[in-house]
Amino acid sequence: MSEVLKRWVGEERLRLEPDFEKGVVLSAEVPRDVLHEVMRTFETEGWYLESLTGLDFKDTLELVYHMNRYEPSARIALRVPVPRGEGVPTVSDVYRSALWLEREVWEFFGIVFTGHPDLRPLLLPEDADFHPHRKDFGRVHAHRRREEIYG
Amino acid sequence: MAEQSAPPVQQTYSLNLGPQHPSTHGVLRVLLTMDGEFIVEADPIIGYAHRGHEKMAESRTYLQFMPNCSRMDYLSGMIYNHGFCLAVEKLAGIVPPERARYIRVICSELNRISSHLLWFGTFVMDLGGFTPFLYCFDDRERILDILDRVSGSRLTYSYCRFGGVARDIDEVFVQATRDFIQRLRSRWTDYHNLVTKNVIFIHRTRGVGVIDRETARQFGVTGPNLRACGVPFDMRKVEPYEVYDRFDFQVPTGTRGDALDRYCVRLEEMEQSCRIIEQALDQLPEGPHRLEGLRLKIKPRRGEVYFAFESARGLTAYYLVSDGSAYPYRCHVRVPSYGNLHCLTEVLKETLVADAISILGSIDIVVPEIDR
Repeated sequence: MSEVLKRWVGEERLRLEPDFEKGVVLSAEVPRDVLHEVMRTFETEGWYLESLTGLDFKDTLELVYHMNRYEPSARIALRVPVPRGEGVPTVSDVYRSALWLEREVWEFFGIVFTGHPDLRPLLLPEDADFHPHRKDFGRVHAHRRREEIYG
Repeated sequence: MAEQSAPPVQQTYSLNLGPQHPSTHGVLRVLLTMDGEFIVEADPIIGYAHRGHEKMAESRTYLQFMPNCSRMDYLSGMIYNHGFCLAVEKLAGIVPPERARYIRVICSELNRISSHLLWFGTFVMDLGGFTPFLYCFDDRERILDILDRVSGSRLTYSYCRFGGVARDIDEVFVQATRDFIQRLRSRWTDYHNLVTKNVIFIHRTRGVGVIDRETARQFGVTGPNLRACGVPFDMRKVEPYEVYDRFDFQVPTGTRGDALDRYCVRLEEMEQSCRIIEQALDQLPEGPHRLEGLRLKIKPRRGEVYFAFESARGLTAYYLVSDGSAYPYRCHVRVPSYGNLHCLTEVLKETLVADAISILGSIDIVVPEIDR
Protein backbone atom coordinates (compact mmCIF):
# COMPACT_ATOMS: atom_id res chain seq x y z
CA MET A 1 0.00 0.00 0.00
CA SER A 2 2.89 2.37 0.68
CA GLU A 3 3.92 1.94 -2.96
CA VAL A 4 0.46 2.91 -4.12
CA LEU A 5 0.41 5.92 -1.82
CA LYS A 6 3.84 6.95 -3.05
CA ARG A 7 2.50 7.04 -6.56
CA TRP A 8 -0.51 9.12 -5.60
CA VAL A 9 0.89 11.64 -3.17
CA GLY A 10 4.65 11.53 -3.71
CA GLU A 11 7.33 10.24 -1.37
CA GLU A 12 7.95 13.50 0.44
CA ARG A 13 4.40 13.49 1.80
CA LEU A 14 4.73 10.01 3.35
CA ARG A 15 5.85 9.53 6.92
CA LEU A 16 6.71 6.12 8.28
CA GLU A 17 6.01 5.60 11.99
CA PRO A 18 8.30 2.62 12.56
CA ASP A 19 7.75 2.11 16.29
CA PHE A 20 3.97 2.08 15.92
CA GLU A 21 3.97 4.51 18.80
CA LYS A 22 1.26 6.75 17.47
CA GLY A 23 -1.04 3.84 16.67
CA VAL A 24 -0.49 4.15 12.93
CA VAL A 25 2.25 2.61 10.82
CA LEU A 26 2.18 5.21 8.11
CA SER A 27 0.78 8.67 7.69
CA ALA A 28 0.43 10.48 4.42
CA GLU A 29 -0.52 14.00 3.55
CA VAL A 30 -3.05 13.74 0.74
CA PRO A 31 -3.95 16.72 -1.46
CA ARG A 32 -7.65 17.25 -1.87
CA ASP A 33 -7.76 16.58 -5.59
CA VAL A 34 -6.47 12.99 -5.33
CA LEU A 35 -8.29 12.09 -2.11
CA HIS A 36 -11.13 10.39 -3.92
CA GLU A 37 -8.87 8.20 -6.05
CA VAL A 38 -6.73 7.28 -3.06
CA MET A 39 -9.83 6.24 -1.13
CA ARG A 40 -11.05 4.21 -4.09
CA THR A 41 -7.74 2.33 -4.07
CA PHE A 42 -8.02 1.66 -0.35
CA GLU A 43 -11.52 0.33 -0.90
CA THR A 44 -10.53 -2.13 -3.61
CA GLU A 45 -7.58 -3.29 -1.48
CA GLY A 46 -9.97 -4.31 1.29
CA TRP A 47 -9.41 -1.53 3.83
CA TYR A 48 -12.13 0.13 5.83
CA LEU A 49 -12.57 3.68 7.06
CA GLU A 50 -12.21 3.48 10.80
CA SER A 51 -12.43 7.07 11.89
CA LEU A 52 -12.71 10.53 10.41
CA THR A 53 -12.18 13.67 12.38
CA GLY A 54 -11.13 17.27 12.03
CA LEU A 55 -8.50 19.44 13.66
CA ASP A 56 -8.65 23.21 13.98
CA PHE A 57 -5.32 25.06 13.79
CA LYS A 58 -4.82 28.78 13.60
CA ASP A 59 -3.54 28.61 10.05
CA THR A 60 -5.59 25.76 8.62
CA LEU A 61 -8.21 23.13 9.22
CA GLU A 62 -7.23 19.53 8.76
CA LEU A 63 -9.05 16.24 8.23
CA VAL A 64 -7.63 12.97 9.51
CA TYR A 65 -8.86 9.71 7.99
CA HIS A 66 -7.78 6.59 9.85
CA MET A 67 -7.80 3.54 7.60
CA ASN A 68 -7.54 -0.01 8.87
CA ARG A 69 -7.95 -3.55 7.60
CA TYR A 70 -8.93 -6.80 9.26
CA GLU A 71 -5.99 -9.15 8.80
CA PRO A 72 -3.32 -8.22 9.40
CA SER A 73 -4.31 -5.01 11.07
CA ALA A 74 -2.23 -2.07 9.88
CA ARG A 75 -3.39 1.47 10.32
CA ILE A 76 -2.70 4.29 7.89
CA ALA A 77 -3.59 7.89 8.64
CA LEU A 78 -4.46 10.14 5.72
CA ARG A 79 -4.16 13.83 6.53
CA VAL A 80 -5.93 16.34 4.34
CA PRO A 81 -5.26 20.04 4.95
CA VAL A 82 -8.30 22.18 4.21
CA PRO A 83 -7.98 25.98 4.09
CA ARG A 84 -10.72 27.75 6.03
CA GLY A 85 -13.87 28.27 4.02
CA GLU A 86 -13.05 25.68 1.36
CA GLY A 87 -14.58 22.27 0.70
CA VAL A 88 -13.43 18.70 0.31
CA PRO A 89 -14.75 16.10 -2.15
CA THR A 90 -16.94 13.55 -0.42
CA VAL A 91 -15.90 9.90 -0.13
CA SER A 92 -19.36 8.74 0.85
CA ASP A 93 -19.75 7.07 -2.56
CA VAL A 94 -16.69 4.95 -1.75
CA TYR A 95 -17.36 4.18 1.91
CA ARG A 96 -20.93 4.20 3.16
CA SER A 97 -19.71 4.90 6.69
CA ALA A 98 -18.56 8.32 5.47
CA LEU A 99 -22.21 9.34 5.09
CA TRP A 100 -22.46 9.86 8.83
CA LEU A 101 -18.82 10.62 9.57
CA GLU A 102 -18.79 13.49 7.09
CA ARG A 103 -22.06 14.86 8.40
CA GLU A 104 -20.54 14.95 11.85
CA VAL A 105 -17.36 16.70 10.74
CA TRP A 106 -19.41 19.14 8.69
CA GLU A 107 -21.59 20.20 11.62
CA PHE A 108 -18.70 20.33 14.12
CA PHE A 109 -16.09 22.06 11.95
CA GLY A 110 -18.02 23.65 9.13
CA ILE A 111 -16.02 21.81 6.48
CA VAL A 112 -18.28 21.30 3.46
CA PHE A 113 -18.06 17.96 1.69
CA THR A 114 -18.90 18.63 -1.91
CA GLY A 115 -21.10 15.99 -3.46
CA HIS A 116 -22.41 14.64 -0.16
CA PRO A 117 -26.06 13.70 -0.75
CA ASP A 118 -27.46 14.52 2.66
CA LEU A 119 -25.68 17.21 4.71
CA ARG A 120 -28.14 17.52 7.59
CA PRO A 121 -26.97 17.96 11.18
CA LEU A 122 -26.44 14.56 12.76
CA LEU A 123 -25.85 15.16 16.46
CA LEU A 124 -26.69 18.85 16.80
CA PRO A 125 -30.23 20.27 16.65
CA GLU A 126 -31.57 20.59 13.14
CA ASP A 127 -31.44 24.41 13.22
CA ALA A 128 -27.88 24.63 14.56
CA ASP A 129 -25.88 27.35 12.80
CA PHE A 130 -22.67 27.07 14.82
CA HIS A 131 -19.65 24.77 14.61
CA PRO A 132 -18.81 23.79 18.18
CA HIS A 133 -15.47 22.10 17.61
CA ARG A 134 -13.91 25.16 16.12
CA LYS A 135 -11.61 26.84 18.56
CA ASP A 136 -13.52 30.11 18.45
CA PHE A 137 -16.54 28.44 20.03
CA GLY A 138 -16.98 28.02 23.76
CA ARG A 139 -14.28 27.50 26.31
CA VAL A 140 -10.98 26.21 25.03
CA HIS A 141 -7.52 26.22 26.46
CA ALA A 142 -5.42 27.17 23.45
CA HIS A 143 -5.54 27.80 19.72
CA ARG A 144 -2.25 27.00 18.03
CA ARG A 145 -0.60 26.93 14.67
CA ARG A 146 0.01 23.54 13.11
CA GLU A 147 3.79 23.58 13.48
CA GLU A 148 3.51 24.35 17.19
CA ILE A 149 2.24 20.81 17.62
CA TYR A 150 3.85 18.81 14.85
CA GLY A 151 6.90 20.97 14.15
CA MET B 1 -65.59 16.55 -20.74
CA ALA B 2 -62.10 15.49 -19.73
CA GLU B 3 -62.02 12.55 -17.45
CA GLN B 4 -60.62 13.41 -14.03
CA SER B 5 -57.61 11.30 -13.15
CA ALA B 6 -57.80 9.52 -9.85
CA PRO B 7 -55.76 11.08 -7.04
CA PRO B 8 -52.43 9.31 -6.55
CA VAL B 9 -52.62 6.55 -3.99
CA GLN B 10 -50.04 6.79 -1.24
CA GLN B 11 -48.02 3.60 -1.34
CA THR B 12 -45.86 4.05 1.71
CA TYR B 13 -46.25 5.52 5.17
CA SER B 14 -43.93 6.65 7.93
CA LEU B 15 -43.66 4.96 11.28
CA ASN B 16 -41.63 5.86 14.34
CA LEU B 17 -40.22 2.66 15.76
CA GLY B 18 -40.26 2.17 19.48
CA PRO B 19 -39.53 2.89 22.21
CA GLN B 20 -39.04 -0.84 22.39
CA HIS B 21 -35.46 -1.56 23.28
CA PRO B 22 -34.54 -0.14 26.72
CA SER B 23 -31.85 1.91 25.07
CA THR B 24 -34.31 3.74 22.83
CA HIS B 25 -36.35 5.54 25.47
CA GLY B 26 -35.86 9.13 24.51
CA VAL B 27 -32.45 8.81 22.94
CA LEU B 28 -33.01 7.00 19.66
CA ARG B 29 -35.77 7.26 17.11
CA VAL B 30 -35.84 5.08 14.03
CA LEU B 31 -37.98 6.62 11.33
CA LEU B 32 -39.26 3.85 9.09
CA THR B 33 -40.80 4.23 5.69
CA MET B 34 -43.14 1.29 5.43
CA ASP B 35 -44.85 -0.53 2.63
CA GLY B 36 -47.43 -2.63 4.40
CA GLU B 37 -45.47 -4.61 6.94
CA PHE B 38 -42.20 -4.28 5.08
CA ILE B 39 -39.60 -1.61 5.70
CA VAL B 40 -38.61 0.38 2.64
CA GLU B 41 -36.22 2.73 4.33
CA ALA B 42 -34.91 3.16 7.85
CA ASP B 43 -33.42 6.37 9.17
CA PRO B 44 -32.04 6.27 12.72
CA ILE B 45 -32.29 9.76 14.21
CA ILE B 46 -29.69 10.38 16.90
CA GLY B 47 -28.21 13.29 18.78
CA TYR B 48 -30.67 13.45 21.66
CA ALA B 49 -27.93 12.60 24.14
CA HIS B 50 -25.21 14.78 22.67
CA ARG B 51 -23.27 16.38 25.51
CA GLY B 52 -20.10 17.42 23.73
CA HIS B 53 -17.59 15.27 25.59
CA GLU B 54 -14.95 15.91 22.95
CA LYS B 55 -15.33 19.64 23.41
CA MET B 56 -15.29 19.33 27.20
CA ALA B 57 -11.94 17.57 26.92
CA GLU B 58 -10.36 20.70 25.49
CA SER B 59 -10.88 22.67 28.70
CA ARG B 60 -10.08 19.90 31.17
CA THR B 61 -6.86 18.29 32.27
CA TYR B 62 -6.32 14.69 31.29
CA LEU B 63 -7.28 13.42 34.72
CA GLN B 64 -10.35 15.63 34.85
CA PHE B 65 -11.55 14.04 31.64
CA MET B 66 -11.42 10.55 33.15
CA PRO B 67 -14.99 10.60 34.56
CA ASN B 68 -16.31 11.69 31.16
CA CYS B 69 -15.02 8.48 29.58
CA SER B 70 -17.25 6.19 31.57
CA ARG B 71 -20.24 8.38 30.82
CA MET B 72 -19.91 7.83 27.08
CA ASP B 73 -20.56 4.12 27.23
CA TYR B 74 -22.06 3.70 30.65
CA LEU B 75 -22.25 -0.08 30.27
CA SER B 76 -18.55 -0.61 29.78
CA GLY B 77 -17.21 2.42 31.62
CA MET B 78 -14.29 0.50 33.05
CA ILE B 79 -13.05 -0.43 29.59
CA TYR B 80 -13.36 3.16 28.41
CA ASN B 81 -11.38 4.41 31.42
CA HIS B 82 -8.84 1.70 30.81
CA GLY B 83 -8.41 2.68 27.17
CA PHE B 84 -8.12 6.36 27.98
CA CYS B 85 -5.46 5.60 30.57
CA LEU B 86 -3.48 3.57 28.06
CA ALA B 87 -3.74 6.30 25.44
CA VAL B 88 -2.48 9.00 27.79
CA GLU B 89 0.23 6.74 29.20
CA LYS B 90 1.44 6.06 25.68
CA LEU B 91 1.52 9.77 24.96
CA ALA B 92 3.27 10.65 28.21
CA GLY B 93 5.57 7.63 28.31
CA ILE B 94 4.29 6.28 31.63
CA VAL B 95 4.72 2.57 32.31
CA PRO B 96 2.38 1.27 35.02
CA PRO B 97 3.51 -1.50 37.40
CA GLU B 98 2.73 -5.10 36.52
CA ARG B 99 0.17 -5.63 39.25
CA ALA B 100 -1.84 -2.63 38.08
CA ARG B 101 -1.95 -3.96 34.53
CA TYR B 102 -3.37 -7.26 35.71
CA ILE B 103 -5.93 -5.56 37.94
CA ARG B 104 -7.05 -3.42 35.02
CA VAL B 105 -7.50 -6.44 32.79
CA ILE B 106 -9.49 -8.29 35.45
CA CYS B 107 -11.79 -5.34 36.03
CA SER B 108 -12.20 -4.66 32.30
CA GLU B 109 -13.19 -8.25 31.62
CA LEU B 110 -15.62 -8.27 34.53
CA ASN B 111 -17.12 -5.16 33.03
CA ARG B 112 -17.33 -6.81 29.63
CA ILE B 113 -19.26 -9.72 31.14
CA SER B 114 -21.65 -7.37 32.92
CA SER B 115 -22.23 -5.46 29.69
CA HIS B 116 -22.91 -8.65 27.74
CA LEU B 117 -25.22 -9.90 30.48
CA LEU B 118 -27.26 -6.73 30.26
CA TRP B 119 -27.42 -7.06 26.50
CA PHE B 120 -28.49 -10.68 26.86
CA GLY B 121 -31.34 -9.76 29.16
CA THR B 122 -32.64 -6.84 27.13
CA PHE B 123 -32.33 -8.67 23.82
CA VAL B 124 -34.39 -11.59 25.00
CA MET B 125 -36.85 -9.20 26.60
CA ASP B 126 -37.23 -7.44 23.26
CA LEU B 127 -38.31 -10.75 21.83
CA GLY B 128 -40.89 -11.24 24.56
CA GLY B 129 -39.03 -13.40 27.05
CA PHE B 130 -39.09 -11.63 30.38
CA THR B 131 -37.70 -14.32 32.68
CA PRO B 132 -34.06 -14.51 31.45
CA PHE B 133 -33.79 -10.79 32.13
CA LEU B 134 -34.30 -11.42 35.84
CA TYR B 135 -31.76 -14.24 35.87
CA CYS B 136 -28.98 -12.32 34.22
CA PHE B 137 -29.59 -9.17 36.22
CA ASP B 138 -29.12 -11.33 39.27
CA ASP B 139 -25.72 -12.37 37.91
CA ARG B 140 -24.84 -8.89 36.79
CA GLU B 141 -25.60 -7.52 40.23
CA ARG B 142 -22.77 -9.61 41.64
CA ILE B 143 -20.26 -8.07 39.24
CA LEU B 144 -21.48 -4.61 40.15
CA ASP B 145 -21.00 -5.46 43.83
CA ILE B 146 -17.47 -6.67 43.19
CA LEU B 147 -16.54 -3.58 41.20
CA ASP B 148 -18.39 -1.32 43.62
CA ARG B 149 -16.32 -2.64 46.48
CA VAL B 150 -13.04 -1.85 44.75
CA SER B 151 -13.88 1.33 42.86
CA GLY B 152 -16.67 2.88 44.90
CA SER B 153 -19.28 3.05 42.17
CA ARG B 154 -21.51 0.69 40.28
CA LEU B 155 -21.51 2.02 36.76
CA THR B 156 -19.23 5.00 36.15
CA TYR B 157 -16.10 3.69 37.75
CA SER B 158 -13.19 6.06 36.99
CA TYR B 159 -11.08 3.42 38.69
CA CYS B 160 -7.99 3.55 36.49
CA ARG B 161 -5.35 6.17 37.06
CA PHE B 162 -2.40 7.16 34.94
CA GLY B 163 0.30 4.79 36.11
CA GLY B 164 -1.94 2.34 37.89
CA VAL B 165 -5.32 2.00 39.53
CA ALA B 166 -6.91 3.99 42.32
CA ARG B 167 -7.04 1.25 44.95
CA ASP B 168 -5.41 -2.12 45.38
CA ILE B 169 -7.48 -5.29 45.31
CA ASP B 170 -7.45 -7.70 48.24
CA GLU B 171 -8.17 -11.34 49.01
CA VAL B 172 -11.89 -10.68 49.33
CA PHE B 173 -11.99 -9.33 45.79
CA VAL B 174 -10.07 -12.30 44.42
CA GLN B 175 -12.30 -14.77 46.22
CA ALA B 176 -15.51 -12.99 45.20
CA THR B 177 -14.39 -12.97 41.57
CA ARG B 178 -13.55 -16.67 41.63
CA ASP B 179 -16.90 -17.44 43.23
CA PHE B 180 -18.68 -15.37 40.63
CA ILE B 181 -17.02 -17.16 37.72
CA GLN B 182 -17.92 -20.51 39.22
CA ARG B 183 -21.49 -19.40 39.67
CA LEU B 184 -21.76 -17.96 36.16
CA ARG B 185 -20.50 -21.23 34.67
CA SER B 186 -23.18 -23.13 36.51
CA ARG B 187 -25.76 -20.78 35.00
CA TRP B 188 -24.88 -21.50 31.36
CA THR B 189 -27.11 -24.58 31.39
CA ASP B 190 -30.05 -22.47 32.55
CA TYR B 191 -29.42 -19.86 29.90
CA HIS B 192 -29.11 -22.40 27.13
CA ASN B 193 -32.22 -24.24 28.24
CA LEU B 194 -34.19 -21.04 28.62
CA VAL B 195 -33.12 -19.22 25.49
CA THR B 196 -30.69 -20.91 23.12
CA LYS B 197 -32.83 -24.01 22.73
CA ASN B 198 -36.07 -22.07 22.68
CA VAL B 199 -37.79 -22.65 19.35
CA ILE B 200 -39.51 -19.25 19.30
CA PHE B 201 -36.19 -17.54 19.90
CA ILE B 202 -34.51 -19.48 17.11
CA HIS B 203 -37.29 -18.69 14.66
CA ARG B 204 -37.05 -15.01 15.42
CA THR B 205 -33.27 -14.80 15.06
CA ARG B 206 -32.01 -17.35 12.55
CA GLY B 207 -31.47 -15.74 9.15
CA VAL B 208 -32.73 -12.42 10.47
CA GLY B 209 -30.73 -9.25 9.95
CA VAL B 210 -27.79 -10.72 8.09
CA ILE B 211 -24.75 -8.43 8.03
CA ASP B 212 -22.29 -9.83 5.55
CA ARG B 213 -18.58 -9.11 5.50
CA GLU B 214 -18.80 -6.51 2.75
CA THR B 215 -21.61 -4.53 4.41
CA ALA B 216 -19.68 -4.64 7.67
CA ARG B 217 -16.58 -3.26 6.00
CA GLN B 218 -18.51 -0.53 4.19
CA PHE B 219 -20.08 0.72 7.42
CA GLY B 220 -17.11 0.14 9.71
CA VAL B 221 -18.93 -2.42 11.84
CA THR B 222 -16.71 -3.90 14.54
CA GLY B 223 -16.93 -6.06 17.62
CA PRO B 224 -19.19 -9.08 18.09
CA ASN B 225 -21.33 -7.92 15.16
CA LEU B 226 -18.35 -8.23 12.83
CA ARG B 227 -17.09 -11.45 14.36
CA ALA B 228 -20.53 -12.97 13.84
CA CYS B 229 -19.94 -12.84 10.08
CA GLY B 230 -16.72 -14.77 10.37
CA VAL B 231 -13.98 -12.15 10.72
CA PRO B 232 -11.81 -12.90 13.78
CA PHE B 233 -11.09 -9.22 14.37
CA ASP B 234 -10.54 -8.49 18.04
CA MET B 235 -8.17 -5.77 19.20
CA ARG B 236 -7.11 -7.95 22.12
CA LYS B 237 -5.69 -10.42 19.60
CA VAL B 238 -4.67 -8.41 16.55
CA GLU B 239 -3.06 -5.51 18.42
CA PRO B 240 -2.56 -6.93 21.92
CA TYR B 241 -2.44 -4.12 24.44
CA GLU B 242 -1.85 -4.24 28.19
CA VAL B 243 -1.12 -7.90 29.05
CA TYR B 244 -3.64 -9.63 26.81
CA ASP B 245 -0.90 -11.41 24.88
CA ARG B 246 -0.06 -13.44 27.99
CA PHE B 247 -3.44 -15.14 28.19
CA ASP B 248 -4.80 -18.08 26.32
CA PHE B 249 -8.23 -17.25 24.94
CA GLN B 250 -10.13 -17.63 21.71
CA VAL B 251 -11.95 -15.16 19.52
CA PRO B 252 -15.34 -16.73 18.86
CA THR B 253 -16.74 -16.18 15.37
CA GLY B 254 -19.94 -17.03 13.56
CA THR B 255 -20.63 -18.00 9.98
CA ARG B 256 -23.94 -16.52 8.82
CA GLY B 257 -23.79 -13.07 10.41
CA ASP B 258 -27.44 -13.15 11.50
CA ALA B 259 -28.95 -12.26 14.85
CA LEU B 260 -28.52 -15.82 16.15
CA ASP B 261 -24.81 -15.74 15.37
CA ARG B 262 -24.41 -12.44 17.15
CA TYR B 263 -26.14 -13.97 20.14
CA CYS B 264 -23.90 -17.04 20.14
CA VAL B 265 -20.72 -14.99 19.72
CA ARG B 266 -21.53 -12.81 22.73
CA LEU B 267 -22.41 -15.76 24.90
CA GLU B 268 -19.13 -17.45 24.02
CA GLU B 269 -17.26 -14.20 24.63
CA MET B 270 -18.46 -14.17 28.22
CA GLU B 271 -16.93 -17.60 28.72
CA GLN B 272 -13.66 -16.41 27.16
CA SER B 273 -13.64 -13.39 29.47
CA CYS B 274 -14.03 -15.79 32.39
CA ARG B 275 -10.97 -17.66 31.16
CA ILE B 276 -8.94 -14.44 30.93
CA ILE B 277 -9.95 -13.42 34.44
CA GLU B 278 -9.02 -16.82 35.86
CA GLN B 279 -5.60 -16.75 34.24
CA ALA B 280 -5.03 -13.18 35.37
CA LEU B 281 -5.97 -14.07 38.93
CA ASP B 282 -3.57 -17.02 38.85
CA GLN B 283 -0.71 -14.92 37.52
CA LEU B 284 -1.47 -11.83 39.60
CA PRO B 285 1.94 -10.47 40.66
CA GLU B 286 2.74 -8.77 43.94
CA GLY B 287 3.97 -5.21 44.07
CA PRO B 288 2.66 -1.69 43.98
CA HIS B 289 -0.68 -0.99 42.34
CA ARG B 290 0.24 2.52 41.31
CA LEU B 291 3.29 4.55 40.38
CA GLU B 292 4.29 6.93 43.12
CA GLY B 293 5.32 10.52 42.56
CA LEU B 294 3.40 11.23 39.36
CA ARG B 295 2.06 14.75 39.01
CA LEU B 296 -1.69 15.05 39.03
CA LYS B 297 -1.54 17.53 36.19
CA ILE B 298 0.48 15.52 33.73
CA LYS B 299 1.86 17.24 30.66
CA PRO B 300 2.53 14.82 27.81
CA ARG B 301 4.93 15.61 24.99
CA ARG B 302 3.75 17.41 21.89
CA GLY B 303 2.30 15.22 19.19
CA GLU B 304 -0.55 12.79 18.86
CA VAL B 305 -1.57 9.27 19.67
CA TYR B 306 -4.25 7.01 18.25
CA PHE B 307 -5.00 4.20 20.63
CA ALA B 308 -7.46 1.45 19.72
CA PHE B 309 -8.84 -1.11 22.14
CA GLU B 310 -11.72 -3.53 22.35
CA SER B 311 -14.72 -2.39 24.33
CA ALA B 312 -17.78 -4.56 24.86
CA ARG B 313 -19.27 -3.34 21.60
CA GLY B 314 -16.23 -3.29 19.37
CA LEU B 315 -13.23 -1.29 18.33
CA THR B 316 -12.98 1.92 20.32
CA ALA B 317 -10.16 4.39 19.87
CA TYR B 318 -8.96 7.57 21.47
CA TYR B 319 -7.27 10.03 19.17
CA LEU B 320 -5.43 12.55 21.32
CA VAL B 321 -3.54 15.56 20.02
CA SER B 322 -1.33 17.24 22.59
CA ASP B 323 0.32 20.65 22.42
CA GLY B 324 2.53 19.91 25.41
CA SER B 325 0.23 21.57 27.92
CA ALA B 326 -1.87 19.93 30.62
CA TYR B 327 -4.98 20.11 28.44
CA PRO B 328 -5.56 17.99 25.34
CA TYR B 329 -5.65 20.05 22.15
CA ARG B 330 -8.10 17.64 20.60
CA CYS B 331 -9.67 14.46 21.89
CA HIS B 332 -11.63 12.39 19.43
CA VAL B 333 -13.30 9.13 20.35
CA ARG B 334 -13.98 6.52 17.71
CA VAL B 335 -16.99 4.63 19.02
CA PRO B 336 -18.09 1.19 17.81
CA SER B 337 -21.85 1.73 18.07
CA TYR B 338 -21.56 4.44 15.43
CA GLY B 339 -20.93 2.00 12.60
CA ASN B 340 -23.09 -0.68 14.17
CA LEU B 341 -26.13 1.59 14.20
CA HIS B 342 -25.40 3.18 10.84
CA CYS B 343 -25.45 -0.20 9.13
CA LEU B 344 -29.10 -0.56 10.18
CA THR B 345 -30.01 1.74 7.29
CA GLU B 346 -28.92 -1.09 5.03
CA VAL B 347 -29.83 -4.13 7.10
CA LEU B 348 -33.39 -3.06 7.92
CA LYS B 349 -34.31 -2.67 4.26
CA GLU B 350 -36.98 -5.09 3.07
CA THR B 351 -37.39 -6.74 6.46
CA LEU B 352 -40.56 -7.08 8.47
CA VAL B 353 -41.17 -4.59 11.23
CA ALA B 354 -41.25 -7.43 13.76
CA ASP B 355 -37.76 -8.44 12.67
CA ALA B 356 -36.58 -4.87 13.07
CA ILE B 357 -37.10 -5.24 16.82
CA SER B 358 -35.00 -8.38 16.84
CA ILE B 359 -32.25 -6.81 14.72
CA LEU B 360 -32.11 -3.64 16.79
CA GLY B 361 -31.76 -5.72 19.93
CA SER B 362 -29.11 -8.01 18.51
CA ILE B 363 -26.85 -5.14 17.43
CA ASP B 364 -26.31 -4.04 21.05
CA ILE B 365 -26.21 -0.29 20.74
CA VAL B 366 -25.52 2.26 23.43
CA VAL B 367 -26.73 5.59 22.12
CA PRO B 368 -24.92 7.99 24.51
CA GLU B 369 -21.70 6.56 23.17
CA ILE B 370 -22.67 7.50 19.61
CA ASP B 371 -23.82 10.98 20.55
CA ARG B 372 -20.88 11.65 22.87
